[in-house]
Amino acid sequence: MLFSRRLMLGLAIAGTLAGALAFPALAEGPTEIDLFFPVPVDGKLARDMGTLIKEFNEGHPNIKATAVYTGSYDDTLIKTRASIKAGKPPAAVIMSANFLLDMQIENELTNLDPLIAADGTTKEQFLGQFFPALQGNAVINRSVYGVPFHNSTPLLYINADKAKEAGLDPSKPPQTWAELTDWAKKLTKREGDKVTQWGIAIPCAYDYCGWMMETLTMTNGGRYYNEEFGGEVYYDTPSMLGALTWWNDLVTKHKVHPPGATPGPAVSTSFISGNAAMMMLSTGSLTYVRDNAKFAYKVAFIPRNVRNAVPIGGASLIVPAGQDADKQKAAWTLIKWMTSPEKSAWWSRATGYFAPNMAAYKTPDMVEFLNKNPDAKTAVEQLDVAKPWFATYKTVPVRKTLEDEVMLVLNGKKQPKEALVAAQKAADETLKPYNAETSLKLP
Amino acid sequence: MSLAEPAALPVATSAAPHLHVLKRFTNRFKASLPAYLLLLPSLVFLTLFTYGAMGRVLVDALYQRATPRAPVRFAGLDNIAAVLTDSAFTGAVVNNLVYAVGTAVPSIALALLFALALSRTNAVTSALRAALFLPVLIPMVAASALFLFIFLPNVGLLDYYIGSFLPVLPNWLGDSDIALYAIMVITIWKNAGYYMLFFLAGLQAVPEDVMEAAHLDGAGPYQRLRHIILPELKPTFLFVTVIATLNAVTQVDHVFVMTKGGPSNATNLVLFYIYQQAVEHYDIGKASAATLLTLAALMGLTALSFRTMANREGGG
Repeated sequence: MLFSRRLMLGLAIAGTLAGALAFPALAEGPTEIDLFFPVPVDGKLARDMGTLIKEFNEGHPNIKATAVYTGSYDDTLIKTRASIKAGKPPAAVIMSANFLLDMQIENELTNLDPLIAADGTTKEQFLGQFFPALQGNAVINRSVYGVPFHNSTPLLYINADKAKEAGLDPSKPPQTWAELTDWAKKLTKREGDKVTQWGIAIPCAYDYCGWMMETLTMTNGGRYYNEEFGGEVYYDTPSMLGALTWWNDLVTKHKVHPPGATPGPAVSTSFISGNAAMMMLSTGSLTYVRDNAKFAYKVAFIPRNVRNAVPIGGASLIVPAGQDADKQKAAWTLIKWMTSPEKSAWWSRATGYFAPNMAAYKTPDMVEFLNKNPDAKTAVEQLDVAKPWFATYKTVPVRKTLEDEVMLVLNGKKQPKEALVAAQKAADETLKPYNAETSLKLP
Repeated sequence: MSLAEPAALPVATSAAPHLHVLKRFTNRFKASLPAYLLLLPSLVFLTLFTYGAMGRVLVDALYQRATPRAPVRFAGLDNIAAVLTDSAFTGAVVNNLVYAVGTAVPSIALALLFALALSRTNAVTSALRAALFLPVLIPMVAASALFLFIFLPNVGLLDYYIGSFLPVLPNWLGDSDIALYAIMVITIWKNAGYYMLFFLAGLQAVPEDVMEAAHLDGAGPYQRLRHIILPELKPTFLFVTVIATLNAVTQVDHVFVMTKGGPSNATNLVLFYIYQQAVEHYDIGKASAATLLTLAALMGLTALSFRTMANREGGG
């Protein structure tokens, strides 16, 4: 009897627990949607996102959006995939623009064409709002899968005070690799063998490293990957060899760049503290630099060796596959609101990303802001030469094969040529299943 | 129930022998039924969240998607073979072995040292114990985020203090020769205080009279340590070694936060490799196969050490 009484108690507790798990409270009222958002750069993006979503909810009483912070770009992909697998995808996600192709190949994206058509607009009209450089990462097989939300390009940041100290004119920033090398040499300070001030720092951590390699390769005339087809990358090419060799030369030959692989936040901290006189970093870090630099700084285009060209970065809004129709509609309302000229402009000012919606730059607040902060214009001007961000089948592992080899080079373990041969081989191996199904599937 | 048994016995012997066995089994089951019922709630949750997941891993490890659009097919041991031939996996195993030995030995040695130094309880030792235990209370993720800044080349706290003594300033987390050791330092810093607790408890169990006798016999501090304290602490050593080894395999928070396994896989550990296969390569089959291999190794290790422990306790 003693047993049974305890047993009953135990079963009762277990039963309550099971009940609580099985029957969550049934919600009524506004359509509740989740928005997954990453914070990939320096600054206070999470707080700004809270402000934005609060404003949306106040203006749309029949929708209740919740912003869910999901870590870095890579983490956001992981969490989105996990939630799709679990059958509970979020209604919208701010997804790194170069993951869209991979997700589309895996059937994880909602085609946005019907939603655009339901609004009575054409695809061309809809896409026409955004800078042309951004469309490459949003349109797959002529269908729209993403709406550009915040975008970036890499920039050259210069500590103007240090430049003047070294007898350089910060109003005429370096335009070519040769000039940049020269500047970096003049800006490097040494005490014996020890470097107390680096001429330039370029970030290299997983994700950033691939983007910087694409940047350097593009300014050297190269392409990095096949923009039309997700099964090819161009690692073992003269343009990339030149890019990696130059980066390696900055480290080992000229000794003006810190050795090893340095992640983005370490590079920006180094720049802010005056330890690195120049850096290449995303426009997304511009607001952080503006708020924290205790010196005059200058931003400029990424210098060229062959041509001026940069990849875009940043993120698009997507709707994951497997979402209810009413939530899809609510998500679409949220997406259109967030990418409208006013909100786009506000977000751009808050973060430093450029606003993908061209009309954002005609809003009075933005015109005034640009007059006050002419440095924000540089990123927009550089858009003229911007191209899509690399996107392939299994983008992350394909990118990692290159990054691992680049890190070996920057650590003095490998020569650029053998590193790129190894990276190409590993990438081809990863891309093999996709090619087997597409380019090598013959009648 | 046990009282009824003798009366039932003759009947059972006259029947077929297997019935006898069956009956004994039912009787025994009846006797332990309340125990099973009491265990049921936790069994349900264990099955749902532990055994169920393990079973799922076992199944997933046997299947593979050849191409993105092809259906999942039975692959047998192919996934395990693919993992074993993957240089990233073998590299992660080697890293993990270096990491396990390189964190377990120093942190246990430090823990023992701290425990011996602080075994007497007074205001000073209590304060020092608390100070040494503090790192245990900080979540690994938070600690890693802090160390990210401590390790910053040139501008970090570490270079601020020791930078002037070094010929060149190393890129602590960005140099593939150093990064793993930088990661190991954090683990040692974080775990030594935790293991110290076990040794402090172990030291309480050293018999006072034996120590006094040794003292009277003129045994010096080293002799007392070598011949009394260390032998008495053997079970503690064994237990802490198991814990430290398990930690070396299951704690990768700092790898995740600080290096993501880089540069060039220099800090890639087995658990992080599994994570990469599952979420970056999106290769559930290979991730499950690597998980199985790790689970097998861990279970083997645990079984071995607990058997040794049981033997020792039985013999002692």
